Amino acid sequence: MISRATALWAAGGGVALVLAQDVVPGAALYHTWQYALAVAVVLTIAALAIVPAWRGRIGARGRWLAVALAAAAALDVAGLASGLLGPDTARIIGDPGTVTPIPALGAAAFFGAADADTIARGNAGVVLRRRGAAALRIAGAGHRLDGESILGLDARPAAFIDAWGARGEHLTITQPANASFLSPVLLFRQRQRIGEFDVPIDGFATPGRARVFRALYFSVHDLANFHRPVADLSHPALVLSVADDSGRPGGIVLLPSGQTVTIGGVRVRATIGSYPALSIASAPPVWALALGLPLFALGIAAGFMPSRRKAAVVQPAGV
Amino acid sequence: MRTGVVIAVLAALCAGCYNAPDPGAAAPGGPDALAGAPAQSFALPRTDGRIDSIARHRGSVVLVNLWATWCTPCREELPDLERFARAYAGRVVVLGIDQGESASTAAQFARTLGVTYPILVDLDEQYGRAYQGLGLPTTVIIDRKGRVVRGIDGAMTVAQMRAAVAPALAAQ
Repeated sequence: MISRATALWAAGGGVALVLAQDVVPGAALYHTWQYALAVAVVLTIAALAIVPAWRGRIGARGRWLAVALAAAAALDVAGLASGLLGPDTARIIGDPGTVTPIPALGAAAFFGAADADTIARGNAGVVLRRRGAAALRIAGAGHRLDGESILGLDARPAAFIDAWGARGEHLTITQPANASFLSPVLLFRQRQRIGEFDVPIDGFATPGRARVFRALYFSVHDLANFHRPVADLSHPALVLSVADDSGRPGGIVLLPSGQTVTIGGVRVRATIGSYPALSIASAPPVWALALGLPLFALGIAAGFMPSRRKAAVVQPAGV
Repeated sequence: MRTGVVIAVLAALCAGCYNAPDPGAAAPGGPDALAGAPAQSFALPRTDGRIDSIARHRGSVVLVNLWATWCTPCREELPDLERFARAYAGRVVVLGIDQGESASTAAQFARTLGVTYPILVDLDEQYGRAYQGLGLPTTVIIDRKGRVVRGIDGAMTVAQMRAAVAPALAAQ
């Protein structure tokens, strides 16, 4: 026989495990067998205690307790399904001003346009559009529950590059190695290990001057641990190396955010900041939460209220 | 006993973790992937100083040509594009959009080649990103309703331009 305390602990623990998917979304833990097993165990205990509770075998006001246990079990099933059957957390890195279809959500993500100021402020957003539905705007640090997914933004390092030739003419920036060939915004999709640093890396070219650049992103923290003293530790910086079309190296330079350097005959300015990636984590469906949580709370609250019948028996004895 | 069986069944369920489709899986890119989608538009200065955009030409078939002065195939294509623009004047709006270069650079170059259609200066390469240009030149055909009909990667001949705009011109 399952005791009342065990049933309550199992129900409460299960609800907490499932709610964690909404409170701390995107954790890899939810897709592990250990998490699924933990939810399965508390689900089993709660489910097995429903009938005894309904029949009043595990304490007073058992029917209310049974309601709470049933609601917890339903939430556990929803949480188990989203953890087990839901996709792993996906992170979509889209270039500013582009549209990325997301077939699994039946939607398209519109990544906001970004100029140098937007990159510096890091306040670009993403709009999710579906045919026949209102657009869902995601901005800032908050998360949005959308059906069985939790959508949020992860700020990632980004740099807006401006380049000029010897006569001061603005140059086209291309990214031959990236999905967005024509873009002055570096999104640093790769990382590279250099000594004790593991830093984001990206590259671009100025075909008008036949130069190819490689850019390593150093955060303020990285710069503080740089092997040489860095004058400006208030902003992140790029370590920029250049080569010509045939691969012949043309120099290397530290380029702090907002400053301009001349390297390989090209004047380069980098405005360093952030640009969001869209993260999509699976979550228990909204209907399960909307139904299960109030029922669970109601069942627990009513289950712990003093029994009127018991009070009626006690009262005459005291008179 | 019954409890043990239920737990065993649930544990087996847990062990068979299922991999759902990745929501981050993106569709293949390139300018032609946008066919059928609403054409994105950004207001930009032209080399003559006026502000122009794709949206301003709603109701007309628009041929958008993304190019730059350093791009050899673009240089080769521009005279054909000028011939096409003259031949289709009044039926198709041709917009050249220079990617990332100064207005003076683009204007001087266009003048040298005798280009008369409007050249927009896209310093931040917004059109290049929005139309998923895989290289230059990139040509995008937009219908009267403001939807992308086709996106073409690489230089085109006059005959190819005619063929590209024909479905948009034929549509009501």
